[in-house]
This record gives sequence, structure tokens and C-alpha cells, in this order.
Amino acid sequence: MRITRTLRAAAAAALLLTAAACGSSGSGGGASPGGLNPPDLKAPSALGRTEGQVNLIAWAGYVEDGSNDPKVDWVHDFEKQTGCQVHSKVAASSDEMVKLMKTGEYDAVSASGDASLRLIASGDAAPVNTALVPNYKDVFPDLKLQAWNSVKGKAYGIPHGRGANLLMYDTQKVNPAPTSWSAVFDDAARYKGHVTAYDSPIYIADAALYLKATRPELKIKDPYALDQKQFDAAVALLKKQNADVGEYWSDYLKEVSAFKSGDSVIGTTWQVIANLAASEGAKIKAFVPKEGATGWSDTWMVSAKAKHPNCAYKWLDWIVSPKVNAQVAEYFGEAPANAKACALTGDKNFCATYHAADTAYWKRVAFWNTPIQQCLDGRTDVKCVPYAKWVQAWTEIKG
Amino acid sequence: MTVVAQTAGQGPRATARRLAGALHRRPRLRLALLLTAPLLWLAVLYLGSLAVLFVSAFWTTDSFTSEVVKVWSADNFHTLFTTPVYRQVILRSVGVALAVTALCVVIAFPVAFYTARVARPRWRPLLVVAILTPLWASYLVKVYAWRLILSQGGLCDWMLEPLGLSGPGFGLPATVLTLTYLWLPYMILPVHTALAQFPANLLDASADLGARPGRTFRSVVAPMVLPSVAAGSIFTFSLSLGDYITVQIVGGKTQLIGNLVYSNIELDLPMAAALGTVPVVVIVLYLLAMRRTGALSSI
Amino acid sequence: MEGIAIRLQGLRKSFGQTAAVAGVDLEIRDGEFFSMLGPSGSGKTTVLRLIAGFETPTGGSVELAGRDVTRLAPFERDVHTVFQDYALFPHMTVEQNVAYGLKVRRVPRAERLVRARGALAEVRLEGYGRRRPAELSGGQRQRVALARALVGRPRVLLLDEPLGALDLKLREQMQVELKALQREVGITFVLVTHDQEEALTMSDRIAVFHQGRIEQVGAPAEIYERPATEFVASFVGTSNLLHGESAQRILGSPGTYSVRPEKIRVLKESALADEPDLAGATGTVAEVVYLGDATRFLVDLDAGGRLTALQQNLETSAEDVAAYRGARVRLTWHRRHAVRVPGAR
Repeated sequence: MRITRTLRAAAAAALLLTAAACGSSGSGGGASPGGLNPPDLKAPSALGRTEGQVNLIAWAGYVEDGSNDPKVDWVHDFEKQTGCQVHSKVAASSDEMVKLMKTGEYDAVSASGDASLRLIASGDAAPVNTALVPNYKDVFPDLKLQAWNSVKGKAYGIPHGRGANLLMYDTQKVNPAPTSWSAVFDDAARYKGHVTAYDSPIYIADAALYLKATRPELKIKDPYALDQKQFDAAVALLKKQNADVGEYWSDYLKEVSAFKSGDSVIGTTWQVIANLAASEGAKIKAFVPKEGATGWSDTWMVSAKAKHPNCAYKWLDWIVSPKVNAQVAEYFGEAPANAKACALTGDKNFCATYHAADTAYWKRVAFWNTPIQQCLDGRTDVKCVPYAKWVQAWTEIKG
Repeated sequence: MTVVAQTAGQGPRATARRLAGALHRRPRLRLALLLTAPLLWLAVLYLGSLAVLFVSAFWTTDSFTSEVVKVWSADNFHTLFTTPVYRQVILRSVGVALAVTALCVVIAFPVAFYTARVARPRWRPLLVVAILTPLWASYLVKVYAWRLILSQGGLCDWMLEPLGLSGPGFGLPATVLTLTYLWLPYMILPVHTALAQFPANLLDASADLGARPGRTFRSVVAPMVLPSVAAGSIFTFSLSLGDYITVQIVGGKTQLIGNLVYSNIELDLPMAAALGTVPVVVIVLYLLAMRRTGALSSI
Repeated sequence: MEGIAIRLQGLRKSFGQTAAVAGVDLEIRDGEFFSMLGPSGSGKTTVLRLIAGFETPTGGSVELAGRDVTRLAPFERDVHTVFQDYALFPHMTVEQNVAYGLKVRRVPRAERLVRARGALAEVRLEGYGRRRPAELSGGQRQRVALARALVGRPRVLLLDEPLGALDLKLREQMQVELKALQREVGITFVLVTHDQEEALTMSDRIAVFHQGRIEQVGAPAEIYERPATEFVASFVGTSNLLHGESAQRILGSPGTYSVRPEKIRVLKESALADEPDLAGATGTVAEVVYLGDATRFLVDLDAGGRLTALQQNLETSAEDVAAYRGARVRLTWHRRHAVRVPGAR
């Protein structure tokens, strides 16, 4: 199931906000980041009777009813408790999620940061009254009301889980132990041919994050809001890095095998990959370098056209309830959103391993967002490079 | 009473026979009935999808919503030919396909010669089966196996170590090597068949007229086996040109045209379509070139 | 003085346990039309392939014009072959086929063309140069093969059953043409055939092969009229032998004798035939075969054994000869036509 993370990462190739269009029309008023000005939708103030069923769009591994693995089932208990029959549709990409949500056939979706803003801006996702989701109170505060799940202080969803893109290195071959991303950028030549990087345009943000710390004159505030000059600098850095890269990875198994064999000795990774590689005997370490890191965070959102809103709210509450959130986080390999979930994981060290409660850790993580023309960092004097250009640039970086 | 019952019983059968008779007398009708379904399949699903591919390459994408805008424009093709990276990737892909094909020919000839002419006749079918066996294994398993072979300290490094060499690692050579392995049976088979059917007395005749073995190979064997080599090359060339998974697994950071299509398909479908027409055009050109060798009649 | 084109000495060739050629000594003279005659499996084709160099002998040697070529490859021998199924290169035109040998030997292009056309003219195929072998008839292909082998003017031309695939009429015509051609070009021809008539018609000399060995070498008349062995007597022409006891009674001396069927006259039993130079025997007609121009009588001799007699149908017709079945007859022949077969037991 963890492999779905790969798919979704590829789907970071699927952003491009309708939001931007809205933003540009009301360029004067947008106070929130990116100038988002979503349609004025109301969240329900109270819940009514459940409708007997709910239609969900989700990443693979998020809505498991035991059909993939009999031991992995948190749907049947939900159906028993609420009387809401679950129909779920697995989406392969953020793009598909957005397309499916536009049909109005679905009640809720597990959107990543690159899809959530689009849904908010286009009015496909409704604000969520978090008071109607009792378990929301236990969600880590640093996940609440963030740029990718809220607009102007209004919540548009319930956080599901998160992860950071770490720097992993081979402890035997990489000496001294790195502390900075410079190990894969400015100093990458030391491990020429054995550097690896994540194969997605969104990886340009990793370069931008590094430049933010090392080249202050570029004045990068948000690695997802890059003007042409900043963007060009990031792309130039990546083109330089390309000479030293052995291979890019998009399949987590590929990275595990590369680190095990020594084909890759240093590069970006996810916690789950690091755990897997270590469990298979690779001598590796993964950490957040001093510049911080990029990362991802998912949000359950309710459709503005939901036919079964009451069941949808029940599901939102269910999926972040401590027991279920622990199950899904462990199954998928990510940090849970609910603080209480940490007590209920099968592996007692799970939350520690994934830094679930480590606020300082997450402070240094810049979660994936959608680069749009309207700079997300609030600048209005320049235009930022939209994601479509990121995709083209990524092709050119790889050459 | 009996008579009535009999006619009733024979009713449907008699109709069927009349129908069969009618069909027998009208061969064109028979042919039409027989071919309608497969032709529809071919025209609608196969050619139709190709047409859609080509047409959509002329559309554009809204750069904000990434939705397809159905306005005619040749922008995508313009981008395709003016962007250096696209040109480079296209040339690289064609180069890989040609290199794989050339390697396959070079390897397939001696192998096929052995299986078709040198090996004891009762071993030949077994050898052919052995050559075909890899085709039954999963594509991914084979490619991942090559990833292991080519990886740092893998089989390849281990075998070259005594010679003071190391393996090629992941990259373009690894891609060519793996693709060659994958598609080799498609080359060996037609060459084997051609060599197996090759009249031995032509070799005698050539030698008899004074030709040394090299000359015989060039002037008699090669030209006669050439159509089969060309037939095999159609497989190796087009399969290599279309591949994007092998290069992801053993190609290191190499990108081929398939990767570009894949990375564009979500975000910019028309661009992906434009990129997708490139291999189609290249393969059509290749087929036209191969047709002159008589390859198409020896597939 | 006539030179020796081919000399085979103690030539042997085994395939596994089977000896295809079991010791052959033979000399073929320059400019000779020589035939190797024998049933299939008698080793004649293997000997041809040994001369051409397609096989290496297990023992013995092959000399071409006095040079030992036993270990040389085909392309090092001044010998060309006309193959049984012609072995024309299907991807080349007729002209290219014919010119191939010249091209291999680096004859200049212009000369190549002239000579190829000349060779095609020799076999009466002018104007066919541009065609492909597949567009020709069997007889035409045969001639292309001939032209291809002749154009390089080899010292020796080997022909492996070259007429076997042709129909009777064409075969007879080609026999005459081949012989004429050989006389014209003056090259040594070595013909392998199982057809005794073909061998008898065309050859200057014939070697009769049997079980990997040569039974007899000689001019056609010699082979036919004075077969050296029982095998030669029976393979060349119709088997007509008188053995031991019956030979003693009829000819007055024991041994094996061959009498050719056309030398025997069939007379009524009562006919007197006591001329001194005539031999004769009585018997019963077992079978009568009407052949159109002649009739074949199979007669069981009173003295034992059976003889076949061939009579031209000068005056008799089919109805007349049928009446002979079961009749008593007297067979007579000149004593000199009963030839003692020396090699027989």
C-alpha cells in the first residue's frame, strides 16, 4: 500500500489551481496566501440523521475494508456503528481526485496539498465545521488551519497524516555524516554517480528550500512560490546536481534496493523507505538536515454538493479517531494526525519513529503545495512560476 | 399426425440448412459476416485511438486548470521541434532502439546459426524452447533481475572484477543491454527459422564457385536471411522505442521518449499526444524502410 | 599425350559406422566424359563430393591434375559442380548467378558480363539474364546451373544427377546437348547417375559403383557386353544370367554367363538350331510383356533358371504375342554373346 505514495507523488504533477484564476480577478482583496478567494460556502452548524451510505474518493490504503488484507479493515466497524454503507473509489492521482469531485457524485475526498487548494478555490469542497468532528480536538495543533487545508482561518478539512522528505545516507560510505542538503547539491560531486533524488517536478522545491538557506540574496520565502529568477536558480542547481545523480527514484522499492546495493549512497527519502531499507540490512540513516525539509500532508474534505453530508462527517470523525488513525497511519507508513493515535499503534515506537508529535520537527517541514502564478508567499509585485513550467523544467533538468 | 409432428420437428433445422445454403451460394455475404466484427475492432478501436491521439496532439491545455482546450494549434509540435531537450530525447530514444536492434542482430546470428544448423537435430526444438522460455517470465521480474545484476557489486561487477573492470552501472548502456536481453528472442526466432530453412547446397554451391566462408556469408547467407533479420528488427526496434519502464529501473537518470509521454499524460495530455506521435511516425518510417527488404512477408 | 585430370587413391569415407566409400582407386583422363553409375547408396555421390571438397575423406587421397587436394576446401579446387537440384541463388538474377564465380574471383565487371552472357549463349539462354531462377522452368534452371559451372572454365565439371528432375523427353534432349557441349568445351565431365541408359549414351567411360566400391571401369560397350561382375551384369541392362548347373547343361561349361535379352531369338520348340556357333535351350514361356516396338518373353528353362528375351515386333502384333503364353519355345543365341562373368561366384 505504501507504494501509493509514489503514485500520489507523481500526481503532484496535477495541480494548477483554478484558484489562480479567481485570485487574479480579485488581486486587490486577497489577504490570504496566494490570494485565494473561494466562493462563500457555509459549513453545516449541526448534523442531521445519517443517510445510510457515503461515497468516498481516497488514496489506496486509506479506506480498507479487508478485501486487500483481511486483517486490515476499519470500514466494517464504521458501517456497523453508523449505519452508513461505504462506497469508495481509489484515485490514482490528485488530478483524478479533482475530476471525480467535480462530478458531484462523491461526498468526501482525501486530498493532498496539491489538490486541496484547487477544490477549495473551485467551490467543490465546502468548509468543515470542526465542532461536528469530535476527534478533531485531538489532532496535532500544527496540522490545524494550515495553508493547504484552510482559507482565511476557515477549516476546509480534517488532517489525516503527514510525512517529511528526509536526507538518507549510507553510514559506511558517506563520511563525515552530512548535516546539510549541501551533501546532495554543492558537494554532490563527492559521491558522483551515487546521488539519488526524487523523480518529480515537485523536487524543484527541495532545491529552492536549500537555496532559501544558502543564498539569502535570492529572498526565497516559500519554496512553492518562486519567481522566475528564484526558479531559474533552483533549476540551475538541479542541472548541476544531475551530473552527479546516479538515478532518480519514483518507486520506493527501487530506492530501497539502490541503497542496499550501494548504487545510491545519499539522497532524499521518506521515513517509510528508510525504515524498510534499515530492516533489510542497509546501513543507513535518515534525518532532517539543518535547512529543514519538504513534506506532504493529506486532508479529508467534504464535497460542496455532498448528498450524504451527515455520513461524510461521521467518516471524517471516524478516520481521525485514535484507533483508526493509528491503523491507517501504520498501514500506510505516515505520521498520524491524531495525538491519541500514538498510544494505540501496534508498534509502540511507531509515533516516535515517524516524529508524529515532534512539533519542532514539523516546523522545519515545508509541506507540498501547488505553485501558481499568484505567489503563495503573498508577493504581488512579481509573478511566480506555475506548476506547468515546473514540469517542463523537470524534463529539461533530467535532459 | 406423425407427418405433422415430423415437419414441426424439422422446422428449425431446415431453416438453418437453408441459411447455410444461402451463405454457401453467396461468398461475399459470407465474407462480410465473417469480417465485420474484426474489421470494426480494427477500425474503431485501433485506428480510431491512433486518430484520437493525433488529433488531440493539436489541442492545448489551459495552463491553470490543466484541462484540455479544444482549439486547433500546432504549438505542441512547434515546442517539440524547437525545445532542445525534446530533440535530444527523441534522438536518444531512436539511438537506443537502433543500438538494441544492432546488438540483437549481432547476438542472434551466431545463436540462431547454432540452434538451426550446428546443434544435433533432436536438440534443436529444445534449444528453441530454451530461447523462448524467458518470454514466459514477467517483464518486470526480468528487468529487476537485471537491476540486481548491474547494481554496485552485483554479478556484472563481480565477473569483471578479475579483469580490473567494473560494470556499466545504471544508465544508457545498462538500458541498451537490458532491452537487448528482453527482445533478443524476437530476433533469434525469425533468424533461426530462416537459417533452418536455408538450403545447405547453396553453401556448397558458393564454396564450389570459389567463395570463401566470409564471402558466402556476405553474398549468399546474409541477403537471403536479411528479410528475416528485418522482420525481427521490427520487433526489437519498435519494442525498444516504446519502452519506458526498463529505463526507469536500470536507466539511472536517463529519460527516453516514453518517459516524457508518461510524465506529461496527467498534466498536459495534448503535449503527451504530440510526444506520442513521434514513435508512431518513426515506426511507420521504419516499417516502410523494412518493407523494401521483404521483411513484412516474412513476419 | 592425355593427362590425368583426377586421380583417386584408396579413397574411403565413413559416416559414423557406415562406410559410404570403401576404398576407391580411379583415374579420370583429361577431356573425358566420365560417368559414375550405381544404385542409390552405392557411394558414387559421396565420391563426387569428395572430389569437389564438400567432404573430407576418412582415408586415401584426391589428386587434381597431379596436385594433392585432399585437404583443400572446395573454393581452393579448380572444380565446379552442377547440383542435382541446381542450387541456384534465388536472390540473384540468372546473370548474377552465372557471374557469381567470376565475381568471387575478382574478374572485372565488364569482362564478367561478357563471359556470363557468353556462357548463357552456350546453353541457349540468351535474353534470360534478368530473370530470377524462380521464373524459369526446370530445364532452363538446369542450363543456368550448367552455365554457372562452366563460365569459369574449370578443369573438371562435376554433374550430380543433373537430369534427374527432368521429364523423359527433356532428359533425352539434354543428354544429347550435354554431350555436344562437352565435346565443344573440351572440359573433363564427371557425371553421377543411377540411370544406366544415361551413362551408356553419354560417357566415354563408366565406373559402376556398388557398396562403396567400383565393380568395373570401362567404355560403355565393354560394360554392357562384357560385365566384369554379376552385379554389373544385372545393374546394367536386364539381369539375364545362367548359373552353374544350367550353364553346364546349356553351354557345356560351369560358371556364370550373361546373355543380353536382345541377343536371344525365340523360336518354336520344333525349330532346328544345331548350327555350331549357336547355343540354345528349350523352355516354357512364363510371361509375355508387350512393349509396343518389342515384346519381352520370360522363359523358364528346362535346364533350370529363367531367361528374358527381347524380340522386335517386326511382323507380330499384340494378339499374336499373347498366344505365346504357356507355349513351349526354343531360345537360341550366338555363343559369343554368352559372356562369362569373371567376378561372379
